[in-house]
Amino acid sequence: MAETSTTTVGQSYGRLEGHAKVTGRADYIYNLRLPSMLHAKIHRSPIGHGRINSIDVSAAAAMPGVHMVVTGEDVKTVLPEPYYGPAFHDQPILALDKVRHFGEPVAAVLAADPHIAERAARLIVVDYEELPAVYDEIEALDSEAIVHEELKPAGTFADLKHLSGRRDTNVALDFHLRLGDADKAFAEAVHVFEHTFRTQQTMHTPFEPIVAIADVTHDRAIIHSSTQSPSFVRYELSRLLGWPESNVRVRTGHLGGGFGAKVYVKVEALALALSMLAHRPVRVAQTMEEQFYTITKHPSTFRIRSAVDDDGRIVGRKCEVWWNGGAYADIGPRVTQKSGFTAAGPYDIENIDIDSFALYTNRPPAGALRGFGIPQLVWAYESHTDIIARELGIDPIVFRKRNILRDGRPQAVGTIVKDGEFEPVLDETARRLGWDRPYDKGEGAKRRGRGVAIGFKASISPTTSSAIVSVNADGSVIVYCSTVDMGQGSDTAMAQIAAEVLDIPLDRIRVVNPDTDVTPYDMSTLGSRSTFHMGHAVRLAAADAKEKLVAMAEEVGMPEGSNAPLPELFIKKFGMRAGTIVGTANFKPDYAPTDPETGLSPNATPFWMIGATGAEVEVDTETGQFTILRMINVCDVGKPINPAVVETQLSGAAVMQLGFTTTERMILENGQLTNPSLADYKVPGIFDMPVIMENGMIEAEQHNGPFGAKGAGESGTFGVSPAIANAIEDAVGVRIAEMPITAEAIFRALRAKDGAPLEED
Amino acid sequence: MTPFELAQPASLAEAIALLDPNDTAIRPIAGGTALMLMMKMGLYEPQKLISLRGIEPRYSEVAATADGGLRIGAVTPLRQLEMLPVVAERAPVIAHTMRRLSNVRVRNVARLGGHLAHGDPHLDLPPVLIALGATLAIAGPNGERTIAVEDLFQGYLETALAPDELIVEVNVPAAAAHTAYLKHTTRSADDWPALGIAVALDMQGDSVSGARVAIGAATDTPRRLTSVEAALQGEALSDAAINRAGEAAAAEAEVHSDARGSAAYKRELIRVFTGRTIRQATGREA
Repeated sequence: MAETSTTTVGQSYGRLEGHAKVTGRADYIYNLRLPSMLHAKIHRSPIGHGRINSIDVSAAAAMPGVHMVVTGEDVKTVLPEPYYGPAFHDQPILALDKVRHFGEPVAAVLAADPHIAERAARLIVVDYEELPAVYDEIEALDSEAIVHEELKPAGTFADLKHLSGRRDTNVALDFHLRLGDADKAFAEAVHVFEHTFRTQQTMHTPFEPIVAIADVTHDRAIIHSSTQSPSFVRYELSRLLGWPESNVRVRTGHLGGGFGAKVYVKVEALALALSMLAHRPVRVAQTMEEQFYTITKHPSTFRIRSAVDDDGRIVGRKCEVWWNGGAYADIGPRVTQKSGFTAAGPYDIENIDIDSFALYTNRPPAGALRGFGIPQLVWAYESHTDIIARELGIDPIVFRKRNILRDGRPQAVGTIVKDGEFEPVLDETARRLGWDRPYDKGEGAKRRGRGVAIGFKASISPTTSSAIVSVNADGSVIVYCSTVDMGQGSDTAMAQIAAEVLDIPLDRIRVVNPDTDVTPYDMSTLGSRSTFHMGHAVRLAAADAKEKLVAMAEEVGMPEGSNAPLPELFIKKFGMRAGTIVGTANFKPDYAPTDPETGLSPNATPFWMIGATGAEVEVDTETGQFTILRMINVCDVGKPINPAVVETQLSGAAVMQLGFTTTERMILENGQLTNPSLADYKVPGIFDMPVIMENGMIEAEQHNGPFGAKGAGESGTFGVSPAIANAIEDAVGVRIAEMPITAEAIFRALRAKDGAPLEED
Repeated sequence: MTPFELAQPASLAEAIALLDPNDTAIRPIAGGTALMLMMKMGLYEPQKLISLRGIEPRYSEVAATADGGLRIGAVTPLRQLEMLPVVAERAPVIAHTMRRLSNVRVRNVARLGGHLAHGDPHLDLPPVLIALGATLAIAGPNGERTIAVEDLFQGYLETALAPDELIVEVNVPAAAAHTAYLKHTTRSADDWPALGIAVALDMQGDSVSGARVAIGAATDTPRRLTSVEAALQGEALSDAAINRAGEAAAAEAEVHSDARGSAAYKRELIRVFTGRTIRQATGREA
């Protein structure tokens, strides 16, 4: 039980939902069943790109127990324009005319028995005319295979309108930033460096798979979903329906992980359409395997060039990033742009060109995954930066510090950095590594090395959060907000903020699970934005309630500054334990849009997230196998609302990125995904953890944050991959430029270095 | 996964009677750790599964034999092989292998017989049992027969078992004096291995008087590496001799590229790990 301290912010309380979770009583949508509900099972495309000639559902429909078989054409009878997506309205609820990736939903079978639905779904026969396909982001630039004949940007974003109607291109969005004169800087530079880095396709693997149950009547749609974005799902479904948002209710429970897999619309639109057709509640519950076909992390290619002067100052940087967005844009264009402007790294460079491209390909769609593109960028710029330091003979920490961004200086996007603890984060990482002490690099077959990397991220902006804080007559409090607690501990943080403002104990506060009929608007739970944005909204709503309580006390004649218990106050006012005091607030930070020509903005983000990793590795030179002896993650976390929860965010993020760095890779052969299961797609286990892992927090006041706080859910991912690659180079002198870093890649590089390259096969 | 009938016979005879050699939709199931994966992926849709968990308790027992070996019932959970002192005493290499075999949840459920009868080359015990010279008791409608473990594996997921035969017992003879098994995973630690090498050596003085060496995971079937055995026979285990054994292994084993590594890389791993396993077995520094 929480102690009844009056200063709850900054304390490491246990999570409010902890007891329910460890006793198996937490409410997950995946466990929900409704009376008379039907189960949907999906028939998926076996090819990467093809025209649908015909769909034969007769055998499936004839199977006893099958209620209905639904195709894309059937969906059109209830939703005439059945395309969705946050940036582009490019994704059909079920395939129409074409399939664009392996695993794309083509038809759905409804049955009361999910096993019957699953078996029947296999009996559907689709005749395809295969089309040329493209899977690589570079090939997609000038491939004869065109994934979407015409671009269909959503009206939501004004800056995408110019793309409307653009034809015969796989470039969904191009973002350009021009700062200073990079061409001149390169022409005059003493040293010029160029490298290309690549990352692979991976998946979020939330342990509660994506799920939605829709229950639609003639003027009401109720959606139970494991979504991170209840407000957006309501918006998008009401758009598809042409209904007011008040007729659509989206609710969720606790989420068994999200990591970006459950932002925007995933299976909600399909569940909606199926329920409309069947006139029954319909559950669309993915298996772990199906999630691989639904949303992934962008593969990427990044060509980075630097101009460096004789003093080891980076005077110019040119960044070209190609993001492989797969068959549907999802939020990829936003990744291209909002992460794109940090592509030159956390350095004070006066001349920068950034060109960032979102590409359509015939891979499963890519979207946001813990870091929103940042880990792909840091992989490249921190590998590149390390190579430069080594080639110039400058200590990698010294080289970084010589160029690091400092408060008061403009970041590449033109926004002056404030409260960005870049140098302290780097210093603390070096201190914990013992960087200034000699390091035993081993001998014989086992060699050791160490490396660092630092990355950063801007908070996606501008976005809005709203909150309601109501005070019951007994003095207990309910917080209504649409921030989704998917394991990050947001309910606890919001309760701590409300408790702090209202000066009441934490155990008298309830945080309501998001429900758009009840909880007010929030942009989404993503991008480490909740603590800052919703934290402010809850703080302001609680302050609003407090003001009303003070006014009420005055009204009933209590002396000013009276600390009479709240129940007394309510009884005085209402004559009995009755009434409710409601505080409300909307919060939206200041923002200045980027200039369409230069990509620059004087105020692009309300705060910066900064994370560094230091790694020590031991490489077995006979096999290339490597062990991470020590991994140190240091992040600028602002003033943490709940330090223990923040630390678990750092370690969780770092371990997740460790998987993307070393073991996880979606394998596509001829467009077909060959390892869509946890048996063959390897998430790291306990024996893959670093021998020692440390998490360090730089606690620094974020001047405009709630109680000085900022977001920290992704920062632990930033430095992991390049820190490991840098440590490997330090150990054995080879550079790995493509993720994942495998033992075989290291072994091959070692053999190539020795002049005895290993044959391909 | 689609529904199926589950039969739970109380005896081996009853279980065998329920199997139908002409109906591939009927299969025995012990732990189910492999079969359920195939069913989840839709690769196999049984009509009926015959559970072996309820047959006579002696098929789940491990006993020391008079000749210094072990008799292991085929329905014994792998976790038992990890925990029972008699296994650690009689065949320490088996107990040691368990520590890194998949994960504890799988070891709690998976059974030795299923582990072998599945015929998947990516498993750990087949090369270990081959190196130890273990045999299998196989029961069918016409009684029992005995085969060497190395003769069980006929191809990828193919075994010498008839559809109505079951492995009932694994007999491990008294172990060689020097045994070791090393596996190597190239993705996560609990992935199926890219290769596994098992070595069982007897020494006379400084020389090898008997050698059995087996490989798993990298090849289509788990199998002996007879050229390595020949290369070791009569040798004092000098660095040069160990290197020759590694070269022989890399030359003999037929490997293929897959998600765990290219064939060329696997050959290098085989060379290195053959040497390391020999060193481990004989207490030399790796």
